[in-house]
Amino acid sequence: MVVEYLDPTDAVIVTRTMAVRPASLEGKVVALLDISKPQGNHFLDRVEELLRERARPKAILRRTKPTFAKPAPEDLRAELLAEADLVIEALAD
Amino acid sequence: MLHEADPAEAIEQLYAQGVTDGLPVVPPTRARVRVFVEASGRPADELIARLPPNFGRATIEKIAINAVLAGCRPEYMPVVIAGVEAICEEAFDLHGVAATTHFASPLAIINGPIRKELEINSGANVFGQGWRANATIGRALRLIMVNLGGARPGVISMSTLGHPGRYTYCIGENEEESPWEPLHVERGFAPGESTIAVFAGEAPHGVYDHRSRGAPQILASIAGSLAVISNYRSTGWGDTLIVLSPEHARTIAGDGWDKPRIRQWLWERLQKPVRELVPDAECGEGLPEKVLARYADPAREETLIPKFRAPENLIVVVAGGTAGRFSAVIPGWTFPGGSQLVIRKIQR
Repeated sequence: MVVEYLDPTDAVIVTRTMAVRPASLEGKVVALLDISKPQGNHFLDRVEELLRERARPKAILRRTKPTFAKPAPEDLRAELLAEADLVIEALAD
Repeated sequence: MLHEADPAEAIEQLYAQGVTDGLPVVPPTRARVRVFVEASGRPADELIARLPPNFGRATIEKIAINAVLAGCRPEYMPVVIAGVEAICEEAFDLHGVAATTHFASPLAIINGPIRKELEINSGANVFGQGWRANATIGRALRLIMVNLGGARPGVISMSTLGHPGRYTYCIGENEEESPWEPLHVERGFAPGESTIAVFAGEAPHGVYDHRSRGAPQILASIAGSLAVISNYRSTGWGDTLIVLSPEHARTIAGDGWDKPRIRQWLWERLQKPVRELVPDAECGEGLPEKVLARYADPAREETLIPKFRAPENLIVVVAGGTAGRFSAVIPGWTFPGGSQLVIRKIQR
């Protein structure tokens, strides 16, 4: 015999798709997002150095979240969406 | 969801679905859930909040299902609902608390007459086992975080070590044994109102002091434990809980000290000169580079840096049994911009 139990989760499935990956970084605007953890800037400095050395991006933007403790504020997300082709986010400690 | 009627088999199936905390749960039959929804006095589809980080919808019915799972009694529903509202307030930063690598978990602190009505323990063994309301209200909040917020351990909830309070973490304030205004009255509620406060806390750390007989002596012991929370060199800390046992509280109040004076005294005492906070070979933690850059010679700088951002960050409650000169400090998850204690009225 089976009985019905109610679902404790919110089972509505929100479908999300990945953004299209660029084949190359050449001519792209790349944003490097520091989440404000200590040493994240050192890591991103090196990433920026390597990008300039190995890829030919149109521009590299450096942006910082006000705090790692919360999601990026809406205006920062809007700015990244408007200005960058892709974002590299750095977590460090 | 269809399950075997055998409760033992249902427990296995619910565990396999990943909707439990590892302990057996009460199967949420439609009939049980209906009783809980009715006890709330609110419509089943009323939306209370969307829970970060996955923003699942916490309707009255979904809260009820999780409260059944947790082993609550129907009359606990108003407390669980207010707890959901509290953890979803922006100041609590549930997104961060749910996902962090830190230890923190919401500690529910209940004030007001509902403690007696629901037999919420505020006395002996207050953080321990043995009281259904404490055991299941805290558990329901955690199951709601997992099942509606998506905070599955190791998937979204990335706490490195966690702590046992992640199963349940719920206390009453021992207002009857407190010489001071209880937490909810301090925060603007009437003594006759009932509230739930949520605080993103680590596990309690015991402070043992049987021999001090004056307020400054006991508080010096407590300051010694507060000084080392997170790291003995960390500064700028936010909301932190000090749980005074009735005996300690009575001795401190007996010297004429009130909570504001306790906070101010501890805050002033918990400061270190810059020179003791410079990362070095002994300990790599300390003041960040941007702060050290303000001083010409940090290794000799005497400017004092407070452990806590403000005296108000030191939150004092009285709880526990009437015998025993033990108190506790509970570090929060309080980076600048991080979680603050949030308190909500329990609507009945």
